[in-house]
Amino acid sequence: MTRLVVGPFNRVEGDLEVTLDVADGVVAAARVSAPMFRGFERILVGRPPGDALAIVPRICGICSVSQSMAAVAALRAVAGVVPPPNGALAADLSHAAENIADHLTHFYLFFMPDFCRDEYASEPWFDDVAARFKAIEGSAAGELLPARAQLLHVLGIIAGKWPHSLAFRSGGTTRGLDLGETMRLIAAVAQLRGFLERVLFAAPLEEVAALSDRAALDAFAEAPRTRNGDFALFLRLARDLRLDRLGRGTTGLMSYGAYRGAGEALFRGGLYDPTTGGTGEIAPERIAEDVTSTWLADGPVHPAEADTHPAVHKPEAYGWAKAPRLDGRPVEVGALARQVVDGAPLARALVADGGSNVAARVVARLFEVARVALAMETWARGLEIGRPFCIPDLPSPDGAAAGLVEAARGSLGHWVTIRNGETARYQIIAPTTWNFSPRDARGVPGPLEQALVGTPVGERGARAAAIQHVVRSFDPCMVCTAH
Amino acid sequence: MDAPRETFYDVIRRQGITRRSFVKFCSLTAASLGLGANGAATVAHALETKPRIPVIWMHGLECTCCSESFIRSAHPLVKDVVLSMISLDYDDTIMAAAGHQADAILQETRQKYKGQYILAVEGNPPLNENGMYCIDGGRPFVEKLTEMAADAMAVIAWGACASWGCVQAAKPNPTQAVPIDKVIRDKPIIKVPGCPPIAEVMTGVVGYVVTFGRLPELDRQGRPKMFYSQRIHDKCYRRPHFDAGQFVEAWDDEGARQGHCLYKMGCKGPTTYNACSTTRWNGGVSFPIQSGHGCIGCSEDAFWDKGSFYDRLTNISAFGIEANADQIGMVAAGTVAAGLAVHAGVTAVRRLTDKSGPHGH
Repeated sequence: MTRLVVGPFNRVEGDLEVTLDVADGVVAAARVSAPMFRGFERILVGRPPGDALAIVPRICGICSVSQSMAAVAALRAVAGVVPPPNGALAADLSHAAENIADHLTHFYLFFMPDFCRDEYASEPWFDDVAARFKAIEGSAAGELLPARAQLLHVLGIIAGKWPHSLAFRSGGTTRGLDLGETMRLIAAVAQLRGFLERVLFAAPLEEVAALSDRAALDAFAEAPRTRNGDFALFLRLARDLRLDRLGRGTTGLMSYGAYRGAGEALFRGGLYDPTTGGTGEIAPERIAEDVTSTWLADGPVHPAEADTHPAVHKPEAYGWAKAPRLDGRPVEVGALARQVVDGAPLARALVADGGSNVAARVVARLFEVARVALAMETWARGLEIGRPFCIPDLPSPDGAAAGLVEAARGSLGHWVTIRNGETARYQIIAPTTWNFSPRDARGVPGPLEQALVGTPVGERGARAAAIQHVVRSFDPCMVCTAH
Repeated sequence: MDAPRETFYDVIRRQGITRRSFVKFCSLTAASLGLGANGAATVAHALETKPRIPVIWMHGLECTCCSESFIRSAHPLVKDVVLSMISLDYDDTIMAAAGHQADAILQETRQKYKGQYILAVEGNPPLNENGMYCIDGGRPFVEKLTEMAADAMAVIAWGACASWGCVQAAKPNPTQAVPIDKVIRDKPIIKVPGCPPIAEVMTGVVGYVVTFGRLPELDRQGRPKMFYSQRIHDKCYRRPHFDAGQFVEAWDDEGARQGHCLYKMGCKGPTTYNACSTTRWNGGVSFPIQSGHGCIGCSEDAFWDKGSFYDRLTNISAFGIEANADQIGMVAAGTVAAGLAVHAGVTAVRRLTDKSGPHGH
């Protein structure tokens, strides 16, 4: 048995370190460490509740709207505020733009460059992939970055600035859009479709959203019409490398449900059990955070009652992330979980044979891009010019509530308690806190720690690309993880 | 130096960028820096003759919003030029190398280009518990930061974190996060505050520094004068409504729809120095005030601990410039005509001056 330390990781958001025990060239155990902590849960306490809307986006520069939306949902629930339909749609459009931007960044800039490593030089697809995705030099980044900047004009139009937008309020979004701005919004969404259909999929979004099983996916990878898209390139590579056998996860898959602005959620929430193939409701009161392996002092475990007190001299602890558990068990979150829980046949097919895996996580992310881009078109056309976007602020009543939303990387929850007009308690559980959680009191590892077990590293040890693929397939956001 | 170091131009040509694109880049850089008629030639000459200046980009306690802003610069050639030509020798968010290989690049650059590289810092060091709140590669970030700064030519402090501390330094500042000038004391530091800074401001600053090999003229707080010499309020397109006493009273009310002033909603534009109201965000699309929300002053020191973001400036004492907001109101009432005159100048191209000058190098 040898112990390897992998890290610091590049091309992830924030700092990450992974310790691996390797026996016979295969990972036998993994420990995942979030080595950075800022203390937002303490900083928010004692401030006016509404100030959270300017502070929480700054938890993360790449999912700032998600953090805003969770805070908005929590404050909205405390106050019992219902935003006008325009405000809800504008917020969903903003959130969708950020989530799609994150998915595309992950695929193009963070995940694919690892297949350009020398160890793959003899693969039949290598030249194509390296020309496209090699970090900094590949041709894809030059197409992605301008398209992504265009997409984020949606945030510019609705929210003025991104990241760390200020326009999202309990009562809606701060400013009504006029006809010209709405037209620009519709144009930005149309440009997104253009990039996706031309570069990523080489197919209409409707065709991608209709993919329903592995056979359809295989055909998509090879068909002359679609094989030149980056999606098809990945599908062929994933098949060659058997990425569906890598990074296997056997935990439940959870989603809080996403994009509720138009009334019914676009993706419904729940918990999927891979052993039975059934989906059940989530009971939020059964969410708890264990700090056995965290440099934090013990205390109440439910986020509505917990506090955050650093305790750096804990010999058994190995990072700043807490270990969230649902009904005492770890769960995996993210685009794959969202699509599986929602019942998308393709996503169900991808996890039917042994649970989540590297290939399924990446396919689900891009599949979701197609579905959300289509929804954005509907939402943008649903805005009613001249109707309200926001209702006025009222003083925050005392009370407690949770704001549960879906960020690009999975389930994000904010639990707020307001007392005497001030924030008395604020707790955050981010998507990567679920996925990259450390061991709990019973010694049960988190989803990534489990998924890494069995990963072949061969003679390359810590430099093996397989480790990078497994870790990155979750699209970690480490600054959110320990916040 | 054993062999002559390659120039930017060498790198640019080696990467297959045409002469024509290079000239275009020089013109755009010169224009964005306000260098005047001969600016493009000056920039081109510098890039053709001076050795390439390596840039090391480090991340401390932060949220990566500065990088996010930077990679979306509207500069048409940013993807070719700023990212690959100017060559971020080390940036852990976008680079290809991983783990200890990446650490090795840091050390190699430090030795090979001793005293000649630019250290760009995003985020800041936490000092509590010997730096344990930000461990990077098994070592406290503060150690790596001071080590890399020791051999740098100059340091760029990106954003509110590196410049002032930002929200992680908000009370009670659990990790004792401090701005980088608290631990780097013997190097020139240029502060580029904002949360995040505007993309075009970032590319402008990095373009200037690597082109001319020195910092542009700074104000007393260490900010580049070319981008931080005016208040948001000075060039705000809603300024006439302030002068006319027309204010938004509630989000999305009739005043909001008419584009009235957000002062009563807590806007900090009158006391915030930044280029948001001229350069704007997302490629010039908009900025927070245009979206109907006041400025929170995110480029100012301690913006996070000055009372609620939604308090009117009346509630905040110890702001400079106008002594208090009542006087702002009085001054405003008396200067409607002057305000209009100033406003007429808004459309004029901003003069971005550097008195020490690119011409004097």
